[in-house]
Amino acid sequence: MRVEKQSSSSGVIAEELHPLLPNLFEPIGSDGKRFGLVGGYCTHCDRYFFPLAEQCSDCCEPLTRMIVGERGSVYSYTVVRTKAPFGLPEPYAVAYIDLAESPLRIFGLIDPGDLDDLDVGKTVQLTVKAIGVDALGRHCLRPVFRLADTGAKRCSS
Amino acid sequence: MSAVMIAGTGNIPFGRYPDRSLASMAVAAGLKAIKSAGLVAREVQIGFFASALAGKLFGDLTIGQNVFADMGMSRIPVLNVENACTSGSSAFYMACLAIRSGEVECALVVGAEKMCVPQIGLLSSGNSELDTLLGLVTPASFALRARRYMAEYGTTREQMAMVSVKSRSHAALNPSAQFRDSVTVEQVLASPMISDPLTRLQSCPIADGASAIVLCSENMGRRIGARVRVRSSVLKSGNYMNPQDLARWQTDYDGVNAAYELSGIGPEDVDVIECHDAFTIAEIMHYEALGLCPLGEGGQLVESGATSLGGAIPVNVSGGLLSRGHPVGATGVEQIVELARQLEGRSGRRQVEGARVALAHCMGGDKAADTKSMTVTVLTI
Repeated sequence: MRVEKQSSSSGVIAEELHPLLPNLFEPIGSDGKRFGLVGGYCTHCDRYFFPLAEQCSDCCEPLTRMIVGERGSVYSYTVVRTKAPFGLPEPYAVAYIDLAESPLRIFGLIDPGDLDDLDVGKTVQLTVKAIGVDALGRHCLRPVFRLADTGAKRCSS
Repeated sequence: MSAVMIAGTGNIPFGRYPDRSLASMAVAAGLKAIKSAGLVAREVQIGFFASALAGKLFGDLTIGQNVFADMGMSRIPVLNVENACTSGSSAFYMACLAIRSGEVECALVVGAEKMCVPQIGLLSSGNSELDTLLGLVTPASFALRARRYMAEYGTTREQMAMVSVKSRSHAALNPSAQFRDSVTVEQVLASPMISDPLTRLQSCPIADGASAIVLCSENMGRRIGARVRVRSSVLKSGNYMNPQDLARWQTDYDGVNAAYELSGIGPEDVDVIECHDAFTIAEIMHYEALGLCPLGEGGQLVESGATSLGGAIPVNVSGGLLSRGHPVGATGVEQIVELARQLEGRSGRRQVEGARVALAHCMGGDKAADTKSMTVTVLTI
């Protein structure tokens, strides 16, 4: 997957980066700017799963692979000020997100640019960014939620 | 099925022991427990050793066999137990099973941790978990509960800080606790922010430490004069259902209710409680699962003083994890050590007068916004 990565010495460079984990997210739509989370659905139990598992944890039948979320609302959040793991920025914010496209409530990383404007109930949109490293210390792509442009921006007064 | 009794307890004060090995701390606690039971090594028929971090921090495996051999207990079955923060209480649970089954008359449980070392790093639920890779460290998982809980119930930061203030006031009376100086609500809130809204003084500190318990059958207990009875010992895993309600922890309720049901004892009967106060918000939420107050009123309960020493239902009179420190493998054992001594009337200045029913509550690990393991133990005298 090809994304732009900021380099301090030479400005914007292009670099091949792999996702944090396989089968975690994928582009949706035709313009390559939208991403969806890859999960699973059990047709027998009417249950959704994220991340994608090999089988339903209720009936053990195989799951149908599907996009389980692209947008959602913040159920809870926190800004973490400990030493950041996996090369994440310090501080960084995480949240539980109620996905709009499925009944799942999932844990997610928040876009580092949105730390100051978070609140319970705000709408977020999935994107993918080169942030931090994977379990083996390699730079990688992470799914992050950014605050959605709701089209109702406040006027500064 | 035999009833299970507590024959003896031992521990070393929690703190920093840079010059002592994990095994030497564990042996010291184990030998004290044997001595307090009035027994000798050869009377112990099975051993359980709990440590959550020795493998990660030191690359050590099967340390329990070293510990029990050093105490003069080779040849007997020895099991090593890792179950995150409930490692010690899970080992206790297994010892209860062994005695209840009739397989053994006497078991020794030792929980120990050495974690005040440079390589400690951040504790999480494991580096191969997606949530961990996305930044879920342990303080964050409780901060996320706190934020949601505050949004739903209007619980204040000051009420959460009162849990730390109470904890320190109790720890001042406990020579085994690590942090014994009193703090104010203002000091708790002004301490460095760890994961908003939780500050450092609302987070349990790391510690080195070891605790041990000798358990025995009713027959043996009668012979040696044991007085504390295990009325129920429950171990549960999470349900991991999605979505999880972060303000009402279903697995917490399920574990507590199972222990009440098994023992035939309800919240109105309990005199003293040690619960898993890893962070202030956790204690407030556990009040509700334990049935001490209605949903959403945990903040008011701590503010009322009901859970302080001298109140209607004192919680964490030892200082809890917040002030005693949290040597992970020892914690679940130490909670029961504290309560057994309370029931025996041996707790000195922090004695809960007339305590006859005690409850220990512990939780460990994080998966899918649920706990991976929880234990509840009900003791009576």
